[in-house]
Amino acid sequence: MRRVLTAAALLLPLAFAGGSARAAGEAPPNGAANDAVSRGAYLFNAAGCLGCHTDEKGGGQPLAGGRALATPFGIFYTPNITPDPVNGIGRWSDADFIRAVREGVRPDGAALFPAFPYASYTRMTDRDLLDLKAYLLSQPAASTANKPHDLTPPFSWRFLVPAWQWMYLTPGPVPDDPARPAAWNRGRYLVDALGHCAECHSPRTQLGGLDADRYLAGNPQGPDNDKVPGITSSKTKGKGIGGWSDGDLALFLEAGLTPDGDVAGGAMGEVVRNTTSKLTADDRAAIVAYLRTVPAKE
Amino acid sequence: MSNRVVNVLAAASVAGLMFTLFGMSAGTAGAADPAEQVKDRQQTMKKLGGGMGAVAKFVKNEGATAEDAAKGAEAVLAVSKMDPKKIFPEGTAVGVADSAAKPELWKNWTEAQKYWSAVQPAAEKLDAAIKGGDRAQIAQALGATSKTCGSCHEDFRVKKN
Repeated sequence: MRRVLTAAALLLPLAFAGGSARAAGEAPPNGAANDAVSRGAYLFNAAGCLGCHTDEKGGGQPLAGGRALATPFGIFYTPNITPDPVNGIGRWSDADFIRAVREGVRPDGAALFPAFPYASYTRMTDRDLLDLKAYLLSQPAASTANKPHDLTPPFSWRFLVPAWQWMYLTPGPVPDDPARPAAWNRGRYLVDALGHCAECHSPRTQLGGLDADRYLAGNPQGPDNDKVPGITSSKTKGKGIGGWSDGDLALFLEAGLTPDGDVAGGAMGEVVRNTTSKLTADDRAAIVAYLRTVPAKE
Repeated sequence: MSNRVVNVLAAASVAGLMFTLFGMSAGTAGAADPAEQVKDRQQTMKKLGGGMGAVAKFVKNEGATAEDAAKGAEAVLAVSKMDPKKIFPEGTAVGVADSAAKPELWKNWTEAQKYWSAVQPAAEKLDAAIKGGDRAQIAQALGATSKTCGSCHEDFRVKKN
């Protein structure tokens, strides 16, 4: 009986697999398929594109944009990223796509507002960006027109965005740390590049940049003015996940279930639904391995 | 044999007692003040969370026995069979005591009800999985049940601070 239980435990989606040799910025094989579109589909979930680029509540088509993001700087309306040639990204070249996601610059040269988390996505590798593009272009086109943002000056002044980028954007992927295990590097890539966790879990400066000194330490004024808890290694409730077991964290990322039996709602409920529940158990374990090493901030 | 009869009798009397208690509290709920109703709801949710937590502990292999998990699933199933109108009476939105229910819950009652009625079939599967004893299946059923809770929390619960 005991052996049967152990065997069953190994089959659990929660089971932790050992380290793997692949580099952090390389999508894991998604089932049997290993073409650009299939790899891109996995990255699409890991990067959480669907949620912000779909006006789910308003009945909008997937990825056609129009979702309102209420922030302290005003309301952003997300754009259409379907393959539509006029309102979507159908005409974008590979270089256009990489420049937009890595440098926050549109094909026409205008700067993108950092509500689009390119300060995080900038760390994605070229290959992952192109796989993601391949996936996006394989999706149905929607001709939904983009809605202008409703921002408070000076945040509405697009010409100031390059200054912001100069202050807060360090373009390009971050090399793996050879002193750390592969799982840690993969976890950092999932947390910092794809998952863009810091965009909500770190506080922002008055200029809307991420406060690097308070990395993942929680955000008193997150999206929709919600308070976002810290996820550093602090053991203090609300400040970190140091008091959670590996099993607690894996189950939370997989099913949204907290140690006290509550189930995440709000923005994190959406992240669990669209992103973390769709990752492989290895990737969830990698996220946990990385978060364990994030210095506690009280 | 006689042991079994005693067990069945005991279970039946406990069930009867719970039914009486529940029936009474449901009977008084109509007259109760909104703050009291919010408290009742929190108790109900605590029971639900306690049940989920017990199954989770078993799945995580963190000290809960199969029996604890079975009891947990039963608690989840019992709550899932409750009438959502009794748990969410009108006039108990955020602002009343420390209610965390958004007013949208009542504005979109049909949707909220749909969310609620998705819990029971998931809880039944969870209960069956635990009786089956296959941990992988239990984990899967637990995740599926969480999802049914999460859909409502995502749309209709204010952020907890």
